[in-house]
Amino acid sequence: MAALNAHARAAGLRPHMRLADARTLVPDLVTAGVESEADRRLLEAIANWCDRYTPWVALDPLGAAIAEPDADGRLEACSAGGFGGDAGLLLDVTGCGHLFGEDEAGERALLTDLVERLARHDFTCRAAMADTAGAAWALARYAERQADLFCPRHGQREALAPLPVDGLRLNTPILETFLKLGLRRIGDLYALPRAPLARRFGDQPLTRLDQALGRVDEPIEPRRVPPAFRTRLAFAEPIGRPEDIAAATSRLLAALCRQLEQAGVGARKLEIALYRVDGSVDRTGIGTSRPNRDNPRLMKLFGEKLGELDPGFGVELMILAAPEVEEWSGTQDLLPDTDAAGTSFGNEDGTIDLADRLALRLGTENVVRLVPRDSHLPERVQTTAPISAKPVPEGAWARLASMKGARPTRLLQRPELVSVTALLPDDPPRQFQWRRHAHRVVRVEGPERLADEWWRPRSNGKYALASSMPPARDYYRVEDDDGGRFWLFRDGPHNAARWFLHGFCA
Amino acid sequence: MSVISPNVLASPAANQQGQVLPTLREQVRRLERAHSIQRTGRMAVPTGIATIDALLPEGGMLTGALHEIEAGPAPSGRIASHDGAALGFAACLIGRFGPGTILWCRQPLGTLDAPPYAPALSAWFDPARLLMVTARREEDLFWAMEEGLRAPGIAAVLGETRAADPTAGRRLSLAAEKNGVPAFLLRPQPAPPQSVCTTRWRVASAALPSTAPGLADPGIARWHIELRRNRFGTPSTEEMPSWLVEWNDETHHLAVVPQARHGSAGPSPAGIARTDPNRQRLVG
Repeated sequence: MAALNAHARAAGLRPHMRLADARTLVPDLVTAGVESEADRRLLEAIANWCDRYTPWVALDPLGAAIAEPDADGRLEACSAGGFGGDAGLLLDVTGCGHLFGEDEAGERALLTDLVERLARHDFTCRAAMADTAGAAWALARYAERQADLFCPRHGQREALAPLPVDGLRLNTPILETFLKLGLRRIGDLYALPRAPLARRFGDQPLTRLDQALGRVDEPIEPRRVPPAFRTRLAFAEPIGRPEDIAAATSRLLAALCRQLEQAGVGARKLEIALYRVDGSVDRTGIGTSRPNRDNPRLMKLFGEKLGELDPGFGVELMILAAPEVEEWSGTQDLLPDTDAAGTSFGNEDGTIDLADRLALRLGTENVVRLVPRDSHLPERVQTTAPISAKPVPEGAWARLASMKGARPTRLLQRPELVSVTALLPDDPPRQFQWRRHAHRVVRVEGPERLADEWWRPRSNGKYALASSMPPARDYYRVEDDDGGRFWLFRDGPHNAARWFLHGFCA
Repeated sequence: MSVISPNVLASPAANQQGQVLPTLREQVRRLERAHSIQRTGRMAVPTGIATIDALLPEGGMLTGALHEIEAGPAPSGRIASHDGAALGFAACLIGRFGPGTILWCRQPLGTLDAPPYAPALSAWFDPARLLMVTARREEDLFWAMEEGLRAPGIAAVLGETRAADPTAGRRLSLAAEKNGVPAFLLRPQPAPPQSVCTTRWRVASAALPSTAPGLADPGIARWHIELRRNRFGTPSTEEMPSWLVEWNDETHHLAVVPQARHGSAGPSPAGIARTDPNRQRLVG
C-alpha cells in the first residue's frame, strides 16, 4: 500500500500495510496500481504551475516520488507519510507575498490562493508556510488545526512543539526508538541535552531539528535555475487571442528591458511562460548571439515564436524571464530614433539580428561564419564558428589563400575513394573512376605535396612516430576530356597508394 | 499587378463600343508606365566584361533582382559531373556587390556534401563576409533568403537549391526589388525555367587549351557562359548569346577569350589584365 485517501485512513489503514491485511479490515477496498512515473509527471506539472508564485520551486527530496527505496525495498525517509501520498513541493516564497498584499497578510493570501487554485483543479492538498522548509514540511503534514498552517515569523519553535516527532523527517529506525523512549512530540526534544542525543542517534535528529527551527540553513535546490530578471503580468480575465498575447509580451519586455538596463546587463536568453486556466504551462524561449536589451529587436525575435504558443482555454498569467544574462558589451544605447529604426544600426548589427532570427528557426549550428585556421591540410583550413564568435579580421582569408596553390571551389566533406590508372606508381593519373563514371584525364597540374601535421595527434589520439616518414598527400588538379576540373590526391606509401577525390575546381 | 477587371467591361459606360478600346489602351499605358517607373532608379553593377554588360539592363547586373545561375551540361552533352564552374561564376558576380554581408543558403547533402571552399572563394570576395546558412527543407531555405533580402547590411543573398518553386521565386524577386538587394539562385543542374528571374545564366566548364602534360598553368578556369534570359535587357543579335570566358586567378581578371585563341595554347591576356602587385604566388 503506497498511498491512502482520507477515508481509508479513517478506516484504520496505514501506508506500507499489506494489501491482504488491508482487505481484512476493509473488504470493499478500492485499489489502483502505483504508476510512479505518471505520479512524478503530475508532480512536475504541478511544480511547473507553482512557478507562478515563485521561480524557486523544488520537489520535496524526501517525497515518495523521488526517494529511492533502500536495499530492503523500504523507503528510508518519511515512513509515516503525511496526508495521502508522500509527494510534496517546496516553494521558497521569500519576497513574493507582496504580490498578494502587505507583509504577513500578503503571505497568508498567497497560501490561501495556492490551496484554492489547486482545489479548483481537483487536487486535495495541504500547504503550510513557515520560516524554514523543515517547519513548513512538518506543519503541512501534522498540524491539527487549520489556523496552525500559517506559522508567523520566528514562531516555528512554538508551532512545532506539539507536533509528533514524525514531522522531523527522521529515518524509520530512529523514529521507532524515539517512540519507544516516549519522545512523542517535537517539543520533547527541546529540553534534551544535545551531546548525549548526538552520541546515541548520530547527527540526523539534531540537524533536522536545527533545520526546522532555523538554526541551520537548509538549501532548497530549485528545479530550474531561478532567473535573476523576471517580470510577470496577471490578467483579470483570461486572454487567448494572439494579438493580446503579443501586446502582453511587449509590455513584459519593456519592463524587463528596463530592469536589464538598470543592472547594466543584456539578455542572452529569454523565456516566456503562459499559465493557462486549466493549470498547464506552455513556455518558449529565444536566444541571441550577443547580450541584448533592445526592446524592438527582441520583440521581433519573439514574433517568430509566439505563434508556437498555445493559449489553450485562456491565459491567466504570463511570466517573462531572462535566465541567461551577460555584461552589456554593446555600444551605448542609441538615442531614440523613431523614424529610422531600421537604418540606425550598423551593418554588423543588421547581420547579427538576421543571424539571430535565422538561428531561432534553423538552429544555431546552421547559421555560421567561416573561420580560417592555421593549417595546411585542406579540410582543416576552413572551420565554422557561431555568429557570436569574434569576427575574422579582414583579409585573413586572402592572406591564407595567397600562400597556397589553386584550390577547388567545393571541397567534399569526406574525400571519396576513386580508382585511378597511372603509368607508373608515382605518375599523375591518366584516368580515374568516380561514382561509376570513368573520366579520362587530359590535363594535370601538380603534384602539390602536403605532409601530415605530425605535431597534432592522430584521430586515435596517438602521435606519429618520430622515426617514420610522415605520410604525405600528393594533390593534383586534373581536367577530364569533358572540361570538368577535379582535385585528386594520392595518399599513403607509393607501393600501396590510394587515390581520393577531394574537391571540384571552377 | 492589376489586370483588367471584368466590371470595367460590364460598366454601362464602357459597354458602348467606342469606349472599350480607349479603356483598354489606358490600362495598357498605365501598366507600361508602372513598368518604367519600376525601372527608373534601378542600380546595376557591371560584370566587368564589356560585351556582356552591353546587353544587360543599366549596363550590368541589376541590384534589386533575382538572378539564376545553373550548371550547364558538359561539352559532350552529358550532365556535368559537378557545378564548380557555376559556383565560381556566381561567386565572381557576387563579389562585385558590396560591401556588406553575403548570405549563402544551402541544403546539406549528408556525407556526399561538398560545401563551398573559402580559400577558393577568397579570389572573388573576402569569405569573412559570408554568413553560411544550412536549411534542411526547401521552404526554410527560401524563407532564410527572403529574411536576408529584408535585413539591413546585406550585400547579396545566394541560395543553392534544386527546387524550382515558382511562388518562392516570385516572392524572392519581389523582396529583392523592394530592398534593392540582389538574390541569386545557384542550381547544380538545369532547372525548368522560371519567368520571374531577371537574368538566367548557364555555366559549364570548358576545356583549357591543351598544353604539354604536367605543364602547370595554375589558376586559370575557362567557362562557357550562356545568357538564357535577359529581362529588361537589350536583345542580342544571336538567339542565345554565349561567351567563352577565362578567369585568371593570378591577375584577378575575367575576360572573354578571343575567338582566335579558342583552341590554341597561348599566354593569358596579361597586357589588358589588371595586375595586382599585392598578390604574388609563392612558388615551391
